[in-house]
Amino acid sequence: MGLKDEYLQRMRREAMAELEQDDYALKVTDLHKDFKLPTEKAWGLKQAIFNRLKGIKGFKTQHVLRGIDFTVQKGEFLGVVGRNGSGKSTLLKVLAGLYVPDKGSVRVNGSIVPFIELGVGFNPELTGRENVYLNGALLGFSNAEMDKMYDDIVDFAELREFMNQKLKNYSSGMQVRLAFSIAIRARGDILILDEVLAVGDAAFQEKCNEYFKSLHGQQTVILVTHDMGNVERFCDRAILIEDGKILQNGDPKKVAKTYLNLFK
Amino acid sequence: MSLPRVLNRRNRILLRELSKTDFKIRYQGSALGYLWALLKPLLMFAILYVVFSKILRFGSDIPHYPVYLLTGTVFWNFFTECTFQGIHAIENRGDLIRKVSFPKYIIVLSATSTAMINLLINVAVVFIFALINGCTPSLSWLLVIPSIIELYALALGISLWLGAINVKLRDIGSIWEVLTQALFYAVPIIYPISMVTGVSSIAANIILVNPISQVIQDVRHNIVTDQTVTTWGFNGVGWGLVSIAVVVAILIFGALFFRKRSKKFAEEV
Repeated sequence: MGLKDEYLQRMRREAMAELEQDDYALKVTDLHKDFKLPTEKAWGLKQAIFNRLKGIKGFKTQHVLRGIDFTVQKGEFLGVVGRNGSGKSTLLKVLAGLYVPDKGSVRVNGSIVPFIELGVGFNPELTGRENVYLNGALLGFSNAEMDKMYDDIVDFAELREFMNQKLKNYSSGMQVRLAFSIAIRARGDILILDEVLAVGDAAFQEKCNEYFKSLHGQQTVILVTHDMGNVERFCDRAILIEDGKILQNGDPKKVAKTYLNLFK
Repeated sequence: MSLPRVLNRRNRILLRELSKTDFKIRYQGSALGYLWALLKPLLMFAILYVVFSKILRFGSDIPHYPVYLLTGTVFWNFFTECTFQGIHAIENRGDLIRKVSFPKYIIVLSATSTAMINLLINVAVVFIFALINGCTPSLSWLLVIPSIIELYALALGISLWLGAINVKLRDIGSIWEVLTQALFYAVPIIYPISMVTGVSSIAANIILVNPISQVIQDVRHNIVTDQTVTTWGFNGVGWGLVSIAVVVAILIFGALFFRKRSKKFAEEV
């Protein structure tokens, strides 16, 4: 696809989105994000003064996102794929409101629930039960609401007899299962998931797959993954990010193919 | 930063859960557990009492000197605990900040909440000591509340300000620890202010205009003995207002600075 075609296609998409103002869930326009990477360790005061004296700037600028445009429709299941270091995670963090973009905008129609990682805030010194309530609070649930969900969460995670033990005594598989079981309770207009499908053993994965199928058509989801099987199975549309730009935006099967061709 | 947003439902839930976690974790793995919150200021008081009251004979002219000393150590302890926790709060909670988007000041509030709980319990201990020592309870004891608010406002302002710098420049935490050591002697905790007023009234005024001194002297005045020299009484109400203005200025500046810097915390921490 030539540059001109790509441009025209983008314009068309934008025009469509303008027409259907209310149908979009998330709209990203010309998103740029730079990082200043320290060239030498510049954590302390001493190093900062040394660098200043030697005329070293102490960092170089890396352009991680260079003009990302896309729109997610309500109820759409969008896959985001790309090689390591292509800028996917940065994009996700900008969408989640963790990073402030240097240029461009993210317009969100509704509320976003991001899962950059499962089990955020999990503390090894707390019991499984205490961690469920803490993690719930991070998702915006009150204690009363968590009380109602608690049994479901524990059953889904299949960890009933471990809930009063400290998290540090859990196996890593058990930890992710617990985290995932809380995460799927989250209700928001847009769900952002980063590489969270591959948790637990085969039986638990089957459960997770069923959950994702149940989301299909009901919930706006943005899923970042390296598993092209998942892209083809769950996504309505996929975008491929390469070097901070969108290389392809469209049919999941085609995007998956382009992605795999990147490695040849 | 309008008030409804600051206190919205999600933020309240988050603040409560994070505070609870901080509180639970602080005394994990110690045999005496929460008792340490009480023991620490009491032991510090015991040391200071033996050294300064019994050996150096400070404060022989002050009625209820042990309670007077305890009041100083309890409030000083609160100030240092609050700022130490507050300054390192963002750094310590980096795992959360990198992954969840929420107002960052909640982290500082929750980190300082344990210090606040400890202070309230220690103030109860001060009251008990005061009664045992023969101080007469009166309504003026209630004036400890505005004093606590003033000291917390100061500690919070410093925590927000230095904590925001500390995210990038980790030296700030260490510098602050040394500074508080110096500050300890610039506040009339172990020595009665009368030792300074006799020598130089300018020096005494400088010491008293420090909001920490103002709080400690006010509390002593209201609980232990009304002979305590306060910032208000020493050189007029004007200087008392200066101290309060300093606290308000630090809090506002700290909050604005923190808000400006907090946008980049997720990248920098």
